[in-house]
Amino acid sequence: MTADAFLFWFLAFITVMGASLVILMKNPVYSALSLVFTMCGVAALFVTLDAFFIAGVQIIVYAGAVMVLFVMVLMLFDLKHEVEAFSKGRVSGAVKIVTAGLLAGLVAGAILYSTTTSSPTLAKEMVTASEDPSKQLGMRLFTQHIFAFEALGILLLVIAVGAVALARSKGGTHHGQR
Amino acid sequence: MGKDTLEIAINGIKLILIFLMMVQAVPILVWLERRGSAFIQNRFGPNRVGPLGLVQLLADAVKFITKEDFAPDKAVRSLFYAAPVFALIPATLAYAAIPMSTPIAVAAFEAFGSTWGPYLFRVQGYEIGVGVVFILGVSSLAAYTILMAGWGSGSKFSLLGALRASAQVISYELALGLSIVGVIMMYGTFNLTEMVQLQEGPLSFTAFGYTVASTVDWIPNWGIFYQPIGFILFFSAAFAESNRLPFDLAEGEAELVAGFHTEYGGFKMLMFFIGEYGHMMIAAGLATTFFFGGYGIPGITVAELQAAIVGWGFSEQGASYMSALIHFLSYNVKFGLFLWIFIHVRWTLPRFRYDQLMDLGWKTMLPWALANTIVTAVVIYVATA
Amino acid sequence: MTSAASSMPIGGIIFLTIFIAIFGTFLIFLARAIGGQRKDNSQAKRDIYECGIPEEVKKETKVSIKFYLTAILFILFDIEIIFMYPWAISFREFIATGMGTPVLISMAVFIGIFIYGLWWEVKSRALEWD
Repeated sequence: MTADAFLFWFLAFITVMGASLVILMKNPVYSALSLVFTMCGVAALFVTLDAFFIAGVQIIVYAGAVMVLFVMVLMLFDLKHEVEAFSKGRVSGAVKIVTAGLLAGLVAGAILYSTTTSSPTLAKEMVTASEDPSKQLGMRLFTQHIFAFEALGILLLVIAVGAVALARSKGGTHHGQR
Repeated sequence: MGKDTLEIAINGIKLILIFLMMVQAVPILVWLERRGSAFIQNRFGPNRVGPLGLVQLLADAVKFITKEDFAPDKAVRSLFYAAPVFALIPATLAYAAIPMSTPIAVAAFEAFGSTWGPYLFRVQGYEIGVGVVFILGVSSLAAYTILMAGWGSGSKFSLLGALRASAQVISYELALGLSIVGVIMMYGTFNLTEMVQLQEGPLSFTAFGYTVASTVDWIPNWGIFYQPIGFILFFSAAFAESNRLPFDLAEGEAELVAGFHTEYGGFKMLMFFIGEYGHMMIAAGLATTFFFGGYGIPGITVAELQAAIVGWGFSEQGASYMSALIHFLSYNVKFGLFLWIFIHVRWTLPRFRYDQLMDLGWKTMLPWALANTIVTAVVIYVATA
Repeated sequence: MTSAASSMPIGGIIFLTIFIAIFGTFLIFLARAIGGQRKDNSQAKRDIYECGIPEEVKKETKVSIKFYLTAILFILFDIEIIFMYPWAISFREFIATGMGTPVLISMAVFIGIFIYGLWWEVKSRALEWD
């Protein structure tokens, strides 16, 4: 086995391990921390594909920002009721089986799709790129995908407004406050 | 990590050395901080153990390691013990990506019946093409240390301290990330080594088709002359990122006791300390690299220095070693100066109130960083187009 | 195409991570071994810190919504800043290839939305800590 293959299988193993721990852990805090670990593993896998910038973004945005919020929320609420809701009895076995079946089907489908419909032209283009990949990403983003980029700005603005509106809405346990 | 066994081994040892160097720097910094604060406050500071109190560090380490190790009943033991170990990881990973000197070139040589090399060993843990993004990403993982320690302790003071600290750290990450957009725009690269190389030589830049060069050749081509506001924003945000005074709102004797490490003591506490000082070192190293020419020496370029060393009678090989050594010293002078500024500021400024802290981060530094980005973009556009 | 394991720092990063994890765990065990266990193991010692009064822990502390709001707004602005990075790195290239003006304008629009968002947050007092 070459060093590259070993690296890939090692990273793939620990990433999948982390992902399994997310669903196997009983305590949601541990699940969230496993998810952070999985994100870092995915970032490392991006590095083996030469996508350095994407790997960095994966860590900054997912591991460093989104998951911080998740972990923060999970640690502050002791989610006893929610843990009970997902343990034995409350959610029927049928739902679990259907969900597991859907997931298995999704994974199998993804593997099947990736083996049957590979796109050699795209892969070749990426491999022969001699320029700095981060610069290429910038060039692509601001020429071909400029509309998506601007739309993203609007989308983020809408999310920010929505978050503030939700946080200020009356109701919940904090009656009497502004 | 390398082409053959020797290179892999040397690179591995190099990484361990960088880690140990960081760990070793902490007691020295603590000594410097205690003596320095004593000097600022007209006290003596530690002066009994050894000359100038230097052996105090050793005594402290012995004290820390002989403390009884225990966890409170309410603590979640796995996270309680994992948090101090994890505190070391992001700081070291990020610091190892900062270039500290010129690479050492080793010519091919014969040994054990085969030819080894030629090698090029960098005086940094690993060179990363997207160094800036990597360091930002890895150091943003430090928030988990705080959260793990705060929640794992099972104490409400720890939890509230962790909440405050993480909210502060993430708020200032915005200003930190935005303040270096101008730097990236200026150099056009994420690679820290390339940034250092671009800052070599005397001050000169091209604007409106003319090349403006300084007549005095010892004024270096450093980033601080192009990004002064970026530097101020970056350095202030770095204070908040490393939870140092005047931004040490994670602790508060009156309301939070010691913040997220209330329940920690002995060696585990020391490991948090190493993490905190590690973040200081990252900030100092990055400020040196972005704005003060990294390992470069003002008035002389790397090539000129190497030629001069060869002129003193060294071989090419020896010149490479000497140049690496001299530039390493140059880097450490700047690096040490920034660390001293960290210490000096801690003992001269009062701390903020929490609302002032958040206001400063969101309403002052973020708009200024945005303005800096816009002005930089417009100036580059007007000057080069 | 060079080999990933040899040219990339990923091996070094993984090595350093594992090394620090082992080293840190070793230090904790070392401190545990040298520090030993004292005879005194009373309840008062094993309690968490509570200013000298009997411990009273409620984990379900009600926490101000501001912290969550700050975290959510942080994520949003962080993503916007991350999108400026590829722009910043290739800005000089865009100018060199004569694409400077449209790219500058598109970024100005993006930053304009950013500033509007920030202004709105400030105006709606979402960033106010009292």
